[in-house]
Amino acid sequence: MSIQTVEVKAKVPSPSTNFWQTYRQSKLGIAGLVLLLVITVIAIFAPVLSPYDPKSSAGVGAGQVYNPPSAAHWLGTDDAGRDVFSNFMYGARVSLLVGFFASFISVGIGGTIGIVAGYYGGRVENILMRFTDTMLVIPDLPLIVVIVALTKPSLLNIIFVIGIFGWTTTARMVRSQTLAVKSRKFVLRARAIGAGRRHIIRHHILPLVMPILVVQAVLVVSVAVLNESTLSFLGLGDPTALSWGQMLNYAFARGAMSTGAWWALVAPGIGIIWVVLGLTLVGQGLEHVLNPRLDTHHLMPGRPVVVNHEASGESEKPTEKNPLLEVRNLSINYINEGKPPARAVENISFTLKEGELIGLVGESGCGKTTLMLALLRLLPSAGQIVNGQVIFSGKDLTALNEQEINAVRWKDISIVFQGAMNALNPVRTVGDQIAEAIIKHMPGFPRDQRLQERVIELLDLVGIAADHKEHYPHQYSGGMRQRAMIAMALACNPQIIIADEPTTALDVMIQAQILELLDSLRKKLGLAIIFVTHDLGVVAEICDKVLVMYGGVTAEYADVDIIYNESRHPYTQELLKAFPDLTKPKKKLSSIPGYPPRLDALPIGCRFAPRCRLAFARCHTEQPLLQKLNDSQSAVHIASCHLLEVSK
Amino acid sequence: MSKDHFLEVRGLKKYFDTDRPSFFSREARHVHAVDGVDFQLRHSEVIALVGESGCGKSTLALLLMGLEEPTEGYISFEGRDITHLNDNERKGLRRKIQMIFQDPYESLNPTQTIEEIINEPLVVHGIGNNKIERDERVKKAMEDSGLKPAEVYLQRFPHELSGGQRQRVVIAAALVLEPEILLADEPVSMLDVSIRAEIINLLAELRITRQIAVIFITHDLGSVGFFADRVAVMYLGRIVEIGTMLEVLEKTQHPYTKALISVIPVPNPRLRHERIILQGETPNPIDLPSGCRFHPRCPLAIATCKVSDPPFITLSKTHQAACLLLVK
Repeated sequence: MSIQTVEVKAKVPSPSTNFWQTYRQSKLGIAGLVLLLVITVIAIFAPVLSPYDPKSSAGVGAGQVYNPPSAAHWLGTDDAGRDVFSNFMYGARVSLLVGFFASFISVGIGGTIGIVAGYYGGRVENILMRFTDTMLVIPDLPLIVVIVALTKPSLLNIIFVIGIFGWTTTARMVRSQTLAVKSRKFVLRARAIGAGRRHIIRHHILPLVMPILVVQAVLVVSVAVLNESTLSFLGLGDPTALSWGQMLNYAFARGAMSTGAWWALVAPGIGIIWVVLGLTLVGQGLEHVLNPRLDTHHLMPGRPVVVNHEASGESEKPTEKNPLLEVRNLSINYINEGKPPARAVENISFTLKEGELIGLVGESGCGKTTLMLALLRLLPSAGQIVNGQVIFSGKDLTALNEQEINAVRWKDISIVFQGAMNALNPVRTVGDQIAEAIIKHMPGFPRDQRLQERVIELLDLVGIAADHKEHYPHQYSGGMRQRAMIAMALACNPQIIIADEPTTALDVMIQAQILELLDSLRKKLGLAIIFVTHDLGVVAEICDKVLVMYGGVTAEYADVDIIYNESRHPYTQELLKAFPDLTKPKKKLSSIPGYPPRLDALPIGCRFAPRCRLAFARCHTEQPLLQKLNDSQSAVHIASCHLLEVSK
Repeated sequence: MSKDHFLEVRGLKKYFDTDRPSFFSREARHVHAVDGVDFQLRHSEVIALVGESGCGKSTLALLLMGLEEPTEGYISFEGRDITHLNDNERKGLRRKIQMIFQDPYESLNPTQTIEEIINEPLVVHGIGNNKIERDERVKKAMEDSGLKPAEVYLQRFPHELSGGQRQRVVIAAALVLEPEILLADEPVSMLDVSIRAEIINLLAELRITRQIAVIFITHDLGSVGFFADRVAVMYLGRIVEIGTMLEVLEKTQHPYTKALISVIPVPNPRLRHERIILQGETPNPIDLPSGCRFHPRCPLAIATCKVSDPPFITLSKTHQAACLLLVK
């Protein structure tokens, strides 16, 4: 979760302001923009820039027909002795003019049809989309040729005809985007506010469809430029407007090929390629801005440990004999380009015995998920373990190479991700997917009847009847999907399961079922479980030990009974008070004012100080160390709070 | 109808058509999302509608909002029949009944600033003569929703706010119309426990400061204590128990309510208790069980539960439950 927070803050630009900053990152996009700017400037200022008037061959001698490039005529002359370079500049005007206006018409028609069809649905959509499909299967270029041939070949006609035949793709794309936006909750909310259709289309659909329209507009310009060139080349262009296509046409028809006057053909050809390339690259740059997700990397193995000095002996850490897993002083940073690293997790220690269930509790963004990912070295690429050790059966997991850690992942320690139940492949049966998990992690597993038996055994373990093996995920309810995910995590008989908010999106009754399942699994299989949650109530039901995290550090760590009845850290106490207690239904809930600190803006002193009711001066300047408290029968009780030092 | 029941729902039903099981099947099948719901709401009363997913509570909310057309039944507001309205009448009613959605990440348009979002209802309804007047209203709604000082948030975009802050924005955008009823559909289930308390306290405050009645829809009975006046427990499209908050929590009658209460996590390991964990999930609302709808999952079901549909038994002036075990 904290990872998401970091990423979201770093990646999502506020819609308008950071547009340019993101666009700038795309090198190809910049190249395209430069290409387009140059050609547009040439087109606009052609009368000023061009060395000769394209219409006359004035200043050019009679013998200048098809003259090769020279100092006077950089790109030579054409059949009438006109300067090809000047023609090229004027040709840019016509080609771009046709391109942009035709695109404007196309995207206008396509956008309107797409939005109306998508938003209104029903019969309107049916008629419009069937019409679109029909238009799509008609080959537009031959049709354009026929229509232009039948009408007067004026520039206006050409723009129109190209425009009204180039909208089909836009309409289809816009329609599907409209459908996606329409089903989003903010559109329902707008309806609930009382907004009418026109208002919703203008204020809610259009802004979210706009990115597609912009990208489409850019791409359609290049199609229009090409279409115009083709028309002109076929002799259907406006004879009074000299476009690149027209130049090709004249050169071709008037013997440029036979006289070897390549320049008369190459110049307009380059122009067309120039514009089309520029537009495509700009389209790519826009895509980069409007769809940043294309570039985000998902879970990639974290960077290797860079600093790993033995922790200073000052702070207390839990000691226990022969634990299954021991995390010692683990610290994790997120690298922030140009900024000091974000200290997402700092100095966390805990131990886990066989069959033990530890609850890892804290609000969103307090580093719980980061910590869990670090145990398996699955941090996103910006994440870095900077200190500490993770000892699992005598090995330090932070010191293993990628191959060695791979042998630990899933086979010894597996993980059930938050919301993972929605990540099942919808087109394959659940049984198949569990079998795949087994094979993937244990390549030597026999692929015969024994594999199917193992799948059934796993399903049985999580309380799913064998006949559901052949069912698809959509036939499963949310609770069953979560059970299937747990079955997958159990595939290789791991010793430890990390369950990251496994019940958060589920109803209380289903939540109770899942908790009961986890509890029975650890009793049956001796599984050790790390249960990550923001809900102290859930933890109280099944956990043995609790680690309360705040802002990436340990607030308090103790046996479950101590946490609920003798907690010493103000954060733990506040969290408990915020929990509705049904035995006192009349009691007002107390809340913790404010929000957890952002990782890129951590307070100097105690990370909880800004929200703590008991904070005093020292809390704001000095980070409290972990204190070992000898107060009760608990094997270990650790908390980090200046108040506890004072009382000691 | 008593005068202080300013919202009244009678026999409300909503069936959705499903695809026929096969091309040759002539039988039309329905999802019985809401299947005969009656209740009343008083001025500035808070009623909690509780049930598992699939019990029809969200469909009920959409029916009350007029975002779905009921198949059958009657809804009245301030004595006026509002079951079926045309677009114009509906729009007028929306000023009085507003809704808060479950997911504050999804229910805000990412391209709008907070100011645009909260100002939008005023624009839609043409409220306020000038910008100053509207700004004043926007600011008041924001500060009443706990977005203080308002200036800090106005120009931000939803993705720059935390989940709790976003939910406050949704609440402010509802409050700006000064509604009389607020429908809250799982407003806290996506939020952290520490933030939940804040949002619930905020809703509790609003009913006092602004005299707003709240219909609070949730799957978690644990979150309704202290703040709800009455609780209605729903199962498979119907209300199975309704009563004051203390009646439902402390004199629980229906076995379903008892199970729901037993699985509420208790934040103390010393108070770990026997949980009645119902197996399976709510059956699909297409093929309803015969007799009492709850009998296949009921730990106390007797033979007659399979055949007869239990009537509503009145236990006190305010407390009713539908269970054959209560028939004497």
